[in-house]
Amino acid sequence: MTDKERKVGRGRLLVSLLLLAGLARPAFPQTAGNPGPRSRSDARKPRTVVIDPGHGGIEPGARGKLGTVEKDITLAIALKLKAMIEKNMAFQVVLTRDKDMDVPLENRAAIANNQKADVFISIHTNSSRQKSAEGSETFFLSTGATPDEETRRLAYLENNSSRIEDHVDKTSEEDVKMILWDMAQTAYIRQSSQLAEMIQAELNSLLGTRNRGIKQAPFKVLTGAACPAVLIEAAFISNPEEEKKLASDAFQTSVAEAIYRGLTKYLQLYP
Amino acid sequence: MADKKNPWKPALILGVLLVVLAVLVIIFFTGGEREKVRRLAEAGLPKAQPPAGEPAVRKTVTLFFLSDDDDLLHGETREIAVGPSAADEAERALAELVKGSARSLISPLPAETRVRQVFITKDGIAYVDFGREIVDKFSYGSSSELSAVYAVVNTLAFNFKSVKKVAILVEGAEKETLGGHVDLTRPFPPDYSIVAK
Repeated sequence: MTDKERKVGRGRLLVSLLLLAGLARPAFPQTAGNPGPRSRSDARKPRTVVIDPGHGGIEPGARGKLGTVEKDITLAIALKLKAMIEKNMAFQVVLTRDKDMDVPLENRAAIANNQKADVFISIHTNSSRQKSAEGSETFFLSTGATPDEETRRLAYLENNSSRIEDHVDKTSEEDVKMILWDMAQTAYIRQSSQLAEMIQAELNSLLGTRNRGIKQAPFKVLTGAACPAVLIEAAFISNPEEEKKLASDAFQTSVAEAIYRGLTKYLQLYP
Repeated sequence: MADKKNPWKPALILGVLLVVLAVLVIIFFTGGEREKVRRLAEAGLPKAQPPAGEPAVRKTVTLFFLSDDDDLLHGETREIAVGPSAADEAERALAELVKGSARSLISPLPAETRVRQVFITKDGIAYVDFGREIVDKFSYGSSSELSAVYAVVNTLAFNFKSVKKVAILVEGAEKETLGGHVDLTRPFPPDYSIVAK
């Protein structure tokens, strides 16, 4: 651990609190039944979905035994999903990449935040060292904090939120920016789990793959998104049977269709 | 003239030297946090253990592997040499994890993986430094990346009481992810919900 990393570590706690002070307020009342933080009754600004085709460029992602490469499949599904949304919904769709190119993980969530996205959907194909691994699953973020830590953090926040800003000195402004993105997703975990559930239900009914359910994981690409965010593992590219499916146009269309239907149902909850 | 100045010269040189010394002392104490962490890690633990006078002493550790039957991690016991420090034992346990299962379980790490060093801080964070093979020798998906990370995290947290969380480094530096999925920039608490009962 270098000196700088320590500083970041210290800043991280402060700023995660600062961030929760800023973000959690609009988000938490929602658990009491209010509309979402990004629901816009004034329809002047178009609502936005950001779709993130996993990997790309020098980062191919996982590879199948038959030679299928994850980054190609995720892009193909993302383009189909974009077309479906644009055709049927009054939504603006932004892709984190629309061709085979490098996009750093941090930039992917930053694109969503800069676009003030309503939803962030990352599309991947899975891989395992188990030959038999198969099926589809949808992830949302786990923060890695134990329930105890979470409780303590929220308690501290309640008692000290007004004073937190004074603690963050100017020299650490860079850290602050990074950490704000870093922790942004923590305020949207509940909506993200709902979105994951609805997409997973459609994957189950459309794909005929094994249902691996919804899961939480500390995925880097989700941590910085300041909106409901999920990561979809359409099927296992490491399993030759599923690799063949993933490479087929029909299956890619079904995956896009399932995500589209799940998204539609989710948006009915938060009109 | 020159003679009159002479009495001041040594004092001046001494003054300059003192300032330089003061700066060096300040740098010494404020910089190099990393070294301090290491020294804490090394000083804190070994003394509790008896020196490795009896190299024959061995202990049983539980390693976590994948099975082809389910999506869970499965424990497999292994003997490793004891001491001198918990960090030394942790390195041995991880080397055994890399070697793979003696039964037919599946190793979650690439066979080429090198364990460069483990150090354990006073506040219970084990820093595991892997060679670059852990990144280069496998193209990870979400599942394989999660099982690689949690096989390491659970193996250390399960066997060593002093380890509360585990941080993974690659070639001595912080790395964002192994393959584009799991965030390595924060230490992980163990997750036993993915371990077979």
